[in-house]
Amino acid sequence: MNIEAALTDMVGEPAKKLHTARSRNDQVLTDFRLWCRDAIDRIVSSIRNLQVALVKLALNNEGLIIPGYTHLQRAQPVLLQHLLLAYVEQLDRDAGRLLDCKARLNFSPLGACALAGTGLPIDRFMTSNALGFTAPMRNSIDAVSDRDFVLEFLSANSIIAVHLSRIGEEWVLWASEEFGFITPSDSVSTGSSIMPQKKNPDPMELVRGKSARVIGDLLTLLTLCKGLPLAYNRDLQEDKEPTFDSVKTIIGMLEVSAEFAQNITFNCERIRKALPAGYLDATTLADYLVKKGIPFRTSHDIVGRAVALCVSKNCQLQDLSLEDLRKLSLVFDNDVYDFLGVENAVKKFSSYGSTGLACVADQLDYWVAKLEIKK
Amino acid sequence: MESLLYSSSLQTPAFSSLFNKSLSTPTPILPLPHTHTAKSRFEPLSCTMSHSAEALTNPKETKLWGGRFEESVTDIVEKFTESISFDKQLYKHDIMGSKAHASMLAQQGLISLSERDSILKGLDEIERSIEAGEFVWRTDREDVHMNIEAALTDMVGEPAKKLHTARSRNDQVLTDFRLWCRDAIDRIVASIRNLQVALVKLALKNEGLIIPGYTHLQRAQPVLLQHLLLAFVEQLDRDAGRLTDCKARLNFSPLGACALAGTGLPIDRFMTSNALGFTAPMRNSIDAVSDRDFVLEFLSANSIIAVHLSRIGEEWVLWASEEFGFITPSDSVSTGSSIMPQKKNPDPMELVRGKSARVIGDLVTLLTLCKGLPLAYNRDLQEDKEPTFDSVKTVIGMLEVTAEFAQNITFNDERIRKALPAGYLDATTLADYLVKKGIPFRTSHDIVGRSVALCVSKNCQLQDLSLEDMRSLSPVFDNDVYEFLGVENAVKKFSSYGSTGLACVADQLGYWVSKLEINKS
Repeated sequence: MNIEAALTDMVGEPAKKLHTARSRNDQVLTDFRLWCRDAIDRIVSSIRNLQVALVKLALNNEGLIIPGYTHLQRAQPVLLQHLLLAYVEQLDRDAGRLLDCKARLNFSPLGACALAGTGLPIDRFMTSNALGFTAPMRNSIDAVSDRDFVLEFLSANSIIAVHLSRIGEEWVLWASEEFGFITPSDSVSTGSSIMPQKKNPDPMELVRGKSARVIGDLLTLLTLCKGLPLAYNRDLQEDKEPTFDSVKTIIGMLEVSAEFAQNITFNCERIRKALPAGYLDATTLADYLVKKGIPFRTSHDIVGRAVALCVSKNCQLQDLSLEDLRKLSLVFDNDVYDFLGVENAVKKFSSYGSTGLACVADQLDYWVAKLEIKK
Repeated sequence: MESLLYSSSLQTPAFSSLFNKSLSTPTPILPLPHTHTAKSRFEPLSCTMSHSAEALTNPKETKLWGGRFEESVTDIVEKFTESISFDKQLYKHDIMGSKAHASMLAQQGLISLSERDSILKGLDEIERSIEAGEFVWRTDREDVHMNIEAALTDMVGEPAKKLHTARSRNDQVLTDFRLWCRDAIDRIVASIRNLQVALVKLALKNEGLIIPGYTHLQRAQPVLLQHLLLAFVEQLDRDAGRLTDCKARLNFSPLGACALAGTGLPIDRFMTSNALGFTAPMRNSIDAVSDRDFVLEFLSANSIIAVHLSRIGEEWVLWASEEFGFITPSDSVSTGSSIMPQKKNPDPMELVRGKSARVIGDLVTLLTLCKGLPLAYNRDLQEDKEPTFDSVKTVIGMLEVTAEFAQNITFNDERIRKALPAGYLDATTLADYLVKKGIPFRTSHDIVGRSVALCVSKNCQLQDLSLEDMRSLSPVFDNDVYEFLGVENAVKKFSSYGSTGLACVADQLGYWVSKLEINKS
């Protein structure tokens, strides 16, 4: 009404004909679909940027082995590159989800008018094409009443937000004194107004924290739409603010994560020194026994007892003597030491998608090519 | 509880299941040894005997992961952390995955052919015994995976100890769960198609019926009932598309990612992936075991379906009211009141509307669950299943009941027709008449608005105004105006693509009858 009234002030009579065969119902939905379409493009572009930043971070840290965790207990050694690429995979699905959403929303409601269409001889295909839509929507009541494209869009954003919250959690842990894996640069850190020593990874804490409002935006829309009769109800104007917030927040989260990734250094020496702790080579040792013909369950049990022995002796698996090992199983032989120690253990991975050197190199090649990264 | 709420004796099967409180699974559930029956999500924990007393009377089986452990878990911890009470629903897919894994291990020489055969036969027998209701699920065996493997070991001995070669429960459970979700999506999409068919058939049965279309729940413009029903069919079609996209995106195999890093044993991930009907193995093992985004996407899609159905629910409850009186549901989809003898309530649709809440809640549960979890696997994630099972069960119930309701309502044509003049539903058509005569729309809108005001003051319809009255508002009005007035005339004037015009709606119906392969007979 603002624009139409201003137009009338400006050009007079012709403006009064603008709203011929149109209602604000189909007008607003046309606007909103166009806006969302562009927003999706912007988000997908930010996703690509973050993927590139993560791949570059991986390329900058070739060969660095870190502990991989399950239950936040040291599990098996992994190449840092391998872990960063896990996030790249998730982000790729996020982009795919948004592109599916964009394809599904790219249909024109214009010409549905209030809810029933019109008797004036309009050309819905012309406006649809002109606005880059795939086609006009088949049913006018559907066209003005449904916000499922917004629900889908905000759902996709919520999944991105959850992914980023996990990266946030991880990097905040890594920046802690206890983990000490990364040192963020001053340009992405903040201090404390009372404690002079503090250097905090606030940007990633906020990436983690802002996921909340993105989930909230989705919930707002779901609650909004629940139980509304057809076709248009005034409640529906409440669909915009959560959407604008969701988009703005997600783009911010993606951009900041990328920036953070570009401004951290891995404390390689410290990581390496702490790597022996956690018996990260235990599963590899079990695989050694399996290769020698012992059923896995039995191998698992034997190595479990080997670990218990290490705990009592306060040593690593590779520090056990062959004599000690052979007490647990006669199958152990001198070649076992090729499987022990973190560097050796990592080298033993070979399955498709594993953290083995060749496998990770393959993954990196795939992403460098797909994201068109200049090395 | 059921008997107090209604008095009608006949209910349709899908309707009855709404009142069935127990969790439904594909097979009957055998009561577990420690009086442990299928739990609802909200049953409180009960304390058992103290740890030491329990240990004296019932020494615990060593866990399959117990190698380095010196004592077993306390009862309270065991009860809190067990998942067998709900994840046994995955038995079929767990066995499917294990069979593929065992076959692969044999092909790769990691187990012998005879070991593979023992395992496959044992798994078949276990599956049979589960489906016959004979299998005993044990809480101390924690989850479906350990239960089945331990039972297999009890049954076939040594070969069973090789089954878990190059496998972790991390990739095992995600393989099971992806397979389960894939099947669940197929079931939901089938239910969506059924509902679409029911709505189209309802439309075909009510040709020519005009009803008021609403905005702001104020009578807006006349529409063919068929046109409105097809709006819901469109929404459901997008719902099916969303699920199909989700299915394509989830159809990648995590098997072979093991705990998180893959393995050095010479496995063939492509073989198991193909055997299980996946598109390909997942590219990154850490991603494979840590991500639940396919569940988030699935439950989001279900939530959108639920919201759509809640809107149908709202609408039909309104239509069944005395004030609207558009539909009369048959007794077979209605319920009565234990106190008011006259009552006939559309409860099924109220519950369709209401159960959307738990479906949304299931999604929020998953989002909250996953938020802020570091990689790769965390025990929190076993909480992903109950909301998913609930979401699927509820959405399928909602879809089925809505279809059944649609098949059991009659439209009160006469009553609708008598009430149709109210609401000036032909007003916009009248404005279009003036536009066709060259008046700018804004001006037309204004003229017709004043016509309506005149009608209000005279307590009459637009078609009751004399030509003289109308020409006093605009000299453009002529005798031909009466062809645009009255609801039947107004509906005939719609012609734009996708409108409620007769030809347009006939085209839509033709499209859907063909796409859904409906036999018009």
